Amino acid sequence: MNQALHAVRLAEMTAQVSAMRAAAMASPPGGSRTSGTSSANLIDSYLFPAMKAAGVTPARMTNDYEFVRRIYLDMTGRIPTADQVNTFAASTNPTKRADLIETLFSTSQWLDKWTMFYGDQFKSASTFPSTGTTLYSGGRDGFNAYIRNFLANDTPYNQVAEALIASQGTNNYTQGELNWIITSRVTGGPNQDIWDGEAAAVAETFLGISHINCLLCHDGRGHLTNISLWASNFTRYQAWGMSSFFSHVALAAPPVTSGVRTPTFWYANDNGYKVDYPLNTTTGNRPPRQPAGKTNTIPPSYPFDGSGAIPGLNYRQSLAAHVVADRQFARAAVNYLWAYFFGIGIVDPPDQFDPARLDPMNPPPAPWTLQPSNPQLLEALTSDFIANKYSIKHLMRTIVNSQAYQLSSEYDPNTWNVAWQPLFARKLVRRLWGEEIADSISLSANVPNKFTFDNGTTSAWAMQYPEPAKETSTLLASFLPGNRDDQPRKQDGSIQQTLALMNDGNVMNKLVSTGTGSAQSLLSLANATTSTPGAINLLWINILSRYPTPAEIVSATSFLSSGTRSQKMQELMWTLYNKVDFIFNY
Amino acid sequence: MNKDTIKKVLASNPVARPAYFRRPHWTRRGFFRLAGAGLTASFLGKEAKAQSGTCTSQGMTTLNTAKNVIFILMAGAPSHVDTFDFKNMPGVTPAAAAPETINGGLWPTGIMPNLSAMTGQFSVIRSLQAHALVHSLGQTWVQIGRNPAAALGNIAPNIGSIVAMQMAAERQPSHVLPTFLALNSDGGVSSGYLDATYAPFKVDPSTAGLPNASNSLGQTRWQEMYKQMHAEDDVLRVNSPMGQNVMNMDNLYSLGTNLMYNPQVQSVFTYSSADSTRYGSTSFGNALVVAKQALASSMGTRFVQVTIGGWDMHIDIYGAAQNKNGNNIFTLGKAFDAGVSALMGDLQAAGLLDSTMIVACGEFGRTPNFTAALGRDHWPNQFAFFAGGGVQGGRIIGATDATGATIVDPGWSQKRAVYPEDIEATIYSALGIDWTTICYNDPFHRGFEFVPQSLGPDYYNPVNELFK
Repeated sequence: MNQALHAVRLAEMTAQVSAMRAAAMASPPGGSRTSGTSSANLIDSYLFPAMKAAGVTPARMTNDYEFVRRIYLDMTGRIPTADQVNTFAASTNPTKRADLIETLFSTSQWLDKWTMFYGDQFKSASTFPSTGTTLYSGGRDGFNAYIRNFLANDTPYNQVAEALIASQGTNNYTQGELNWIITSRVTGGPNQDIWDGEAAAVAETFLGISHINCLLCHDGRGHLTNISLWASNFTRYQAWGMSSFFSHVALAAPPVTSGVRTPTFWYANDNGYKVDYPLNTTTGNRPPRQPAGKTNTIPPSYPFDGSGAIPGLNYRQSLAAHVVADRQFARAAVNYLWAYFFGIGIVDPPDQFDPARLDPMNPPPAPWTLQPSNPQLLEALTSDFIANKYSIKHLMRTIVNSQAYQLSSEYDPNTWNVAWQPLFARKLVRRLWGEEIADSISLSANVPNKFTFDNGTTSAWAMQYPEPAKETSTLLASFLPGNRDDQPRKQDGSIQQTLALMNDGNVMNKLVSTGTGSAQSLLSLANATTSTPGAINLLWINILSRYPTPAEIVSATSFLSSGTRSQKMQELMWTLYNKVDFIFNY
Repeated sequence: MNKDTIKKVLASNPVARPAYFRRPHWTRRGFFRLAGAGLTASFLGKEAKAQSGTCTSQGMTTLNTAKNVIFILMAGAPSHVDTFDFKNMPGVTPAAAAPETINGGLWPTGIMPNLSAMTGQFSVIRSLQAHALVHSLGQTWVQIGRNPAAALGNIAPNIGSIVAMQMAAERQPSHVLPTFLALNSDGGVSSGYLDATYAPFKVDPSTAGLPNASNSLGQTRWQEMYKQMHAEDDVLRVNSPMGQNVMNMDNLYSLGTNLMYNPQVQSVFTYSSADSTRYGSTSFGNALVVAKQALASSMGTRFVQVTIGGWDMHIDIYGAAQNKNGNNIFTLGKAFDAGVSALMGDLQAAGLLDSTMIVACGEFGRTPNFTAALGRDHWPNQFAFFAGGGVQGGRIIGATDATGATIVDPGWSQKRAVYPEDIEATIYSALGIDWTTICYNDPFHRGFEFVPQSLGPDYYNPVNELFK
């Protein structure tokens, strides 16, 4: 569809949806709203009418305590302090939710959390055991610095993608963006394996289309027939066109002399080879590539529109230009971020887009259906992301200011239907990352951690780990942070997680009574609080970011009334760190 | 792009695809069957649904001779020509290797004194060959039975996780130990795309026993805290208003507490100094003691991975512990020898050797030529060790030439080198798992092949010659 026509149709859809939204707003979702969110939020204008059309009642709105804990964890990776909770709850400012969101954007914790998030997304790691490539801690640290800088400056995401795909240079330590192209290097095979790896990484990271990886070994027909309408008609030959954009790349690290690689940094440029992707392999990591007749090389060709090299640009620069000009690039970025905040993507899993089933104005033939759970919403958010200069902050702001994001996770279990998940009728709970668990325990207990990193630095905060693979402590490792290579970060639960939360030294050493003044531990402070309800409130607001329910007050008061008070206080504190409303962002 | 060109190229790059009559037939299989208290733990954003997947297979007849597997990963790539494919090289092989002809084969009694005397109780594949000579890649390869760099390779589960998934229906309420135990294998491959329930339960055995299985405030206080936690939290944990994921976490708490203050569990994860000594007084030996105890306890463990590293002997392979790892072929060979021989003896005495298959291999072998650094570099030819679980003793499958450089006789039905994928097929078949199974529960919905089928559905095969 051409751009102008698309704009007209989007305008039509928007008008249609506005009418539906007006109807929806006449009977708003339950619960009181303290939010000053503009009712013009793009997301809400699509989601609530869709729920209404499906006859699904959304969950009530979060109360202030639910919201403040959720937004601190989701945006900064830590629970709020008691002061932060109380200040927020006491405020009568009608725009306080939007105001808090703006405040959080400017914290260093926001940078820590999102450097970790995009470090996962871009696979910033010192080594890649599964492919035999090593960037060393220097390369990884340089990459992390690049990511942090992009977030701090809100560098347009299209510029980030261009830098990662096409940058050239001689030192990956000082030029952090140089690392990304090296992360997907594969050893143990011909150069074509490396180029295929890089093409697959571009498709997954920037287009959300992992099936390119499958297609680089075999045609889609017979393999992806039931999965992707697009891929089922796509061939290995066409996929090679994408790899061919990498066929002039030279990646190298200086040679090893006397057992030591000095210096250890990599360079990357596009002066390596002058021949397009040759069909001349019989060994390696992928099936043989053989010539046919006079065709023994594959020219660069962007798989989604057949565009080749652009005059005046080298191959990688050409590919980067094709990628960021592709609407799918923005769509994928939007959907990846959405999946983090809402628990599932509008297309899910978010790395498995089917390009032939996305356009709401051009649905696929039966029995196929449109892939996104709300195609109009995805297109509107994509347009909005593009119109706002590919700003990740703008996108995040739109998401967290929406009433949909601010719905409660609580829903009557006897009424809830799992099939309603794609409607986003309730907030799905998110098990905290290990870093968030460790940092939130430390913050609330007011007992600092000390983590020593492989680059020689130390930190009190787990979210500042340079890469998850180095999080080897029993507590952190049990939460499955992944290694940015062959083990993705996982949201799964495990037995080790429960054993660690119940017994690990890192948790138990927060239950000791130490410190004075600003270093006074929470336990010490609770012990010094003579009023039992006062002590209970103190523990609840610091650890759970809310006040106890009447039933909890009764239960905790009774628990504290027998035995040695200081010991019972310690035990009560333990119960809170093992509550599911501590372990999950709800 | 010209259509004729595309056609030509495609014709020259055919995709291996089974003939119509050999296509998989469909079978339904209860797939994520829950065991005991309910082991599900998928928090992948989506709430866990009662997941069921469809699996197909070629309907192979499996060996079905073993109940358990102990898989020993010899990380770093052991020299085959100094161990299980021993070659006596004049001027190179030190006298201390003390080769002797036993049962018609040459064994380095100075490197593996105990196993050399037990050759009737195990078998060796000498025609095993690695695909790649990169340590990390190769180590991953043997743990997942496929190319880690290929599509799906980066989310492929450990063989032990597939076994745990397939054995889930056999779990009983008394089975408090995880099905898949990984000892000294912190860097080992995990459950890939599968549910964390099937992930290796990773432990580095020490005299302290299982970590985090007791509370520093003591059992009495822990019980009180745990009870109070439930009193406060069951309103959120039972029929949870927060959804299924929260209820799953509650299940994991129950499973975790089963491992705490449980004398039977502690007796599995602790070991006596006498046993440690018998197994060679090494961390490897200690892990084998724990492996044996876990299987003997009948508390649910079926697959144990144990890693013994340090075999990457580029320098001074025969030197007196002067190798860069502090190991040489004598020290590490004897550590392996002491541990595995004691393990076989103990499993035999406990009546478990017939039902427990022990498999040991590295990621590749080492050069037949002895280098200027007095060591051996990387080489594709290697060996695999098999004992118990229906494996006949005293078999040597395949043969290499006089120097160990190439295969002169594959020695098995497929008349080609044995690959890691065949070792994987052998493990599945011995456990009664159809190695041609494809399950469509992978995130790509592409179909996860238990053993890769890109070269044909049964190209990779169990090495049945070990058993019959």
